Amino acid sequence: MPKTILEVMDLKKHFTDRKGLFHSLGERHPSIPAVDGVSFYIKENETVGLVGESGCGKTTVGRTILRLEKPTSGKILFDGKDITSIPTDELRRLRGQMQMIFQDLDAALNPKMRIRDILSEAITVHHKIDGAEAGKRISDLLEQVSLKKSKLSNFPHELSGGEKRRVGVARVLSVGAKFIVADEPTSALDVSIQAQIVNLLRDLQKRLGLSYLFISHDLPVVELISHKVAVMYLGKIVEIGLSDRIASRAMHPYTHILWSSLVEKQNKENPQKAKSVQADRWGVFDFERPVSGCRFAPRCPVYESSGRPAICIDPSTEPQLEDIGGSHQVACHFPL
Amino acid sequence: MTAVPILKIEDLRTYFHSRSKQAFIRSVDGVSLEVMKGQTLGVVGESGSGKSVTALSVLGLVSAGPGVISGKIGLRSDRIQKDLLEGLGEFVKLTTKDGKIMEVSKDVAGWRRGAERIMSKVRGKEIAMTFQNPGSSLNPFTPVGKQITEAIRLHTSTKTEREAKERALSWLHRVKIDSPRLRFDHYPYGLSGGMCQRIMIAMALASEPSLLITDEPTTGLDATIQSKIVDLLEELKSELGITTMLISHDISIISQLSDSVAVMYGGTVFEYGPTKEVLSKRGNSKHPYTSALLASIPSAQNIREKRYLQAIEGDVLDTINIPTGCRFYSRCSRMTERIRERCVGHEPDLRETGSRHKVRCWLYFD
Repeated sequence: MPKTILEVMDLKKHFTDRKGLFHSLGERHPSIPAVDGVSFYIKENETVGLVGESGCGKTTVGRTILRLEKPTSGKILFDGKDITSIPTDELRRLRGQMQMIFQDLDAALNPKMRIRDILSEAITVHHKIDGAEAGKRISDLLEQVSLKKSKLSNFPHELSGGEKRRVGVARVLSVGAKFIVADEPTSALDVSIQAQIVNLLRDLQKRLGLSYLFISHDLPVVELISHKVAVMYLGKIVEIGLSDRIASRAMHPYTHILWSSLVEKQNKENPQKAKSVQADRWGVFDFERPVSGCRFAPRCPVYESSGRPAICIDPSTEPQLEDIGGSHQVACHFPL
Repeated sequence: MTAVPILKIEDLRTYFHSRSKQAFIRSVDGVSLEVMKGQTLGVVGESGSGKSVTALSVLGLVSAGPGVISGKIGLRSDRIQKDLLEGLGEFVKLTTKDGKIMEVSKDVAGWRRGAERIMSKVRGKEIAMTFQNPGSSLNPFTPVGKQITEAIRLHTSTKTEREAKERALSWLHRVKIDSPRLRFDHYPYGLSGGMCQRIMIAMALASEPSLLITDEPTTGLDATIQSKIVDLLEELKSELGITTMLISHDISIISQLSDSVAVMYGGTVFEYGPTKEVLSKRGNSKHPYTSALLASIPSAQNIREKRYLQAIEGDVLDTINIPTGCRFYSRCSRMTERIRERCVGHEPDLRETGSRHKVRCWLYFD
């Protein structure tokens, strides 16, 4: 039985507007619940995929877990230890074990540093070793992520998108992290390069026993790489389960729509089959709108087709994640 | 089929000059394509393959030097039949060595004057384009409705402001913007990415063009919104019979929307033919690059069996140092000893392997 490396309980992160000089004069701004009560766990050597539309709070979950953002409430257990509010110096030590691959590597790699310096800085910050040993470690890392040695003296802008990703992965590995939050590691890459990176991440997991939280909106990639998939909608997980079950036997209407829009793309021949549940009005969601009842109700085809049942929009009965067997949980009053 | 080409690009070359490397970036290096009336041509390729530059060259929107240097862009619409690069050749002098262009001297001002004379009647009116990243391609200081109205008044016979506004509203309705009257006065920043894309499409179609070029219409949108935009494009095609050149790196969208497809790599067309043949997983006479590209997308079977993806090793070609042989040989997995010498030494032509199916690979020509 592999042990749980990370557990998140009822995590919340609400952003408030920065208070300006005239704050007290103006109207009160509502806080934005980017993450609004998220619970899940990740076992050792396991990949959990986190999917959802842009703006649903995927990245904020990742950042808050690593304490790059201060959680508003909730609990984060890393390796059995509560890290929700540990002091910074202790946190810094822990960061050697948990790391993040950032989405925008143009912004995450210092443009004024050579690749060698970027990697050796990461090593020496976390480990007390001398230059020669760091150099040896770097060449090991390059081999692991299959990056050419000649690139070490280059600056980030001289690398291609795929190579930058590899540097991002190498930097994370350099500190010896065993839990990695990978934020959209394949977005903005060409398909041929995307395949290389996906293979690399899976390879590393096998060899080094890493655990990933894999954040992406690319559903096929998530399904391929993850053991479990959590689907987020407006700051909440609406469904979580084993990846093939989520993909083929989704219980939440939202998950179903997400995946069927993909299936539709894949087999043009029989689009009718995929359109069994289809939202006609696919409006824009609004974070600042107060939520009453189920968050998905305004866009939900099931809500619409079953005559707008009152339970769906009753503020006191927001659906909670419920176990339906086979480690599959769904938050819906009328699961499919 | 008796379809006539509305747009016929022949041997188009668009180069840029890199000052730091003192070399040419051969972004488009001898591209020939045809867009048939009432059909959709899909152009697919990875970043840097020259898809967008081809489109911009057609519209005369390449501004960096030297830009378009040779080729023919034949437009045959109901109103205009001419080569959009007609008479511009005199402004360019090319020096070639071993069949490769080594030096370009271009009278940019003269070229531009000549091109603008031709393009003023074409751009936006005969050929309309929706650009990548709609959020930044719309004017941020003008309400979206006004921007569409402007296009209508400029390019169609609608004369009064009021009439133009009515038409703009009907176009907003057409592209399924909900509550068009409300959105008419909105600014682009207040609209989502999907809506901006719809506005762009409305604006492009409002001038009733003969040809619509859409560059990456679904990139950067969420999966659910993507499928909505694809539905919209499909509907517009079947209802209005619009001729489209669709540029995307997303193979699934291309295969869904286009009748024929061109696979581009390193500034040239590698494979060209009916979509069904080119992008089907089966089929034998295929370019190794196309097969590899198709294999690198996670397929249903891949996912089910949790297999590794077939990646194409190496990086996308940079179009500065183009090898003498095939542009793909260093990444190619199907190069055999038998043809190796030719792959490394000579660039293959784009030649027909089946009816209307062309491939640029030595594998098929002995």
